[in-house]
Amino acid sequence: MPMASLSRWTMSYFAAALAFLLAAEALAVAGIGYPAAGLGEPATLVLVHLVAVGWLSLAMAGALLQFVPVLVSRPLAFPQLALPVLAALAAGLILLSTGFATLAGWIDAPLDLLPLGGAALLSGLTLLGLMLAATLLNARPIALFARFVLVGLACLAATAMSGAAFTTLLSGRGGWLGHVALLPDGLPFHALLGLGGWLGLIAFGVSYRLFVMFMMAPEPPARGVRPVLLLASLGLGLAFAGLAAPFAGIEPGATWIVAALIMLVLASLLYGRGILALYSARRRKALEINMLASIPAFAALALGLALLPVAVVAHAGDGSIAALVFLVVFGWLGGLTLAQLVKIVSFMTWLETYAPRLGRGPAPRVGDLVAMPRTGWWFLLYYAGVAFGTAALAMEATGGFRSSMAIGLAGTIGIAAELVHIRRLSQIKAADRPPAHERPRLFAARAEERRPDHVHTGTIAHPRA
Amino acid sequence: MSTNLERLVEIALRDVLDPEMGRSIIDLGLIYAIAAAPDGSVAITMTTTTRGCPLTGFLKEAVAFAAGAVEGVTGVTVTLTYEPAWEPAMVAAE
Repeated sequence: MPMASLSRWTMSYFAAALAFLLAAEALAVAGIGYPAAGLGEPATLVLVHLVAVGWLSLAMAGALLQFVPVLVSRPLAFPQLALPVLAALAAGLILLSTGFATLAGWIDAPLDLLPLGGAALLSGLTLLGLMLAATLLNARPIALFARFVLVGLACLAATAMSGAAFTTLLSGRGGWLGHVALLPDGLPFHALLGLGGWLGLIAFGVSYRLFVMFMMAPEPPARGVRPVLLLASLGLGLAFAGLAAPFAGIEPGATWIVAALIMLVLASLLYGRGILALYSARRRKALEINMLASIPAFAALALGLALLPVAVVAHAGDGSIAALVFLVVFGWLGGLTLAQLVKIVSFMTWLETYAPRLGRGPAPRVGDLVAMPRTGWWFLLYYAGVAFGTAALAMEATGGFRSSMAIGLAGTIGIAAELVHIRRLSQIKAADRPPAHERPRLFAARAEERRPDHVHTGTIAHPRA
Repeated sequence: MSTNLERLVEIALRDVLDPEMGRSIIDLGLIYAIAAAPDGSVAITMTTTTRGCPLTGFLKEAVAFAAGAVEGVTGVTVTLTYEPAWEPAMVAAE
């Protein structure tokens, strides 16, 4: 029997990611963090890390564990690490958040929880990087999309190491750093490398490949994609230099941030042009929900990233910067991730359930697993929350932001419930569902019962660059 | 005789549907060649829309199954190729 290349723990990563997103949104609705607290205050840091590490990074990691092997036609390296990595990341994040809660004075616990959490996150992310980098480097020549992921992983390393250093400083055990002023000067670069490099650049690279498949569009020409990687790498290189500058006694100022941002804006402009070309040249005319719901995400990227350097140069104040970062993080990264989760979960669930029936009689299509138009309404609600939330932050309206987050939370709950429905095959007629004991499990794919088969080395004589 | 068998196999493969589009793999242009020998053995050359497609193994098996069920077919060999690489222009007009 042929087997699907299913990543066994990807669904668990997604479930944990959604749980952290829901927790972050609920805290925001409760009025915890910015704008009720300052941007750099511990309460805000709890929320920021629940979203960046818990939600976006775990979802990205789960998706990469599934798609990197598929895209390079090589088996995942060290697959047995997938579950320990998830455990280390979740535990690290909880320790980190508890440390921040101690800093905020909500609870009375040792501040050493901060570096402990930092160390757990650093080890989890190192192992994740090892699995992904080893898989990518096994496939030669190294494809263009793989270079996006590799640069993104380098940014992840810089983000995780700087973050770990920050945690030792915050716990009062940063004496080994001497007089290097890593905090607060390094913070914007830490954020830029994490959001722009690890999450953003990899989203760029992977979306080129996945959108080609999802929309049956022609491959984007390398001459249009290479400059995106080059410009983004320049911007991220600047961010890395900004992070390292204090070690050389240099204080990187706002100009440095703006220079890095401008490179990322230029990269995004070219990227946007490429994605637009994929949409318009697609062979699959009817857009599925994942591609429709990605459109507001791209609009958020365009608006947020175009205005961010302007806001920094004009010293627009915390409100405008927070609004734009929120728009990029929740609108673009968050919206895009939620939209693609619907596709990834339905495709993986179909593969697990119906792929063995292929060609042996009628079987539902992948799209039949998704409840439409209901899923679309949840996305509308989510994006409405993001739009109102952005406006409320720009106007520094604390109450307005909380209400907006409640709308966004409602949308997120709806989307999460739809993902559960997809796993449970709720949209499929009872007669077309497999017997209960063969149905997909909610949190883990039945990958162990199937021989991995994404390697067709015998038939792939000349892997394409 | 063998041309007729090739035609019958092609008709049978129209029942193998792509789970994304709900269209047959023939319409999608995934079948590059069907060659039937006088003894009833059939050689099929096919591709997938992308290298390393998670469905590859299932598609190959579905093609072998559907072709093998055609009356007069004594054996089926399915060969996977990426030369030329599939492109969206190979999809038959809707």
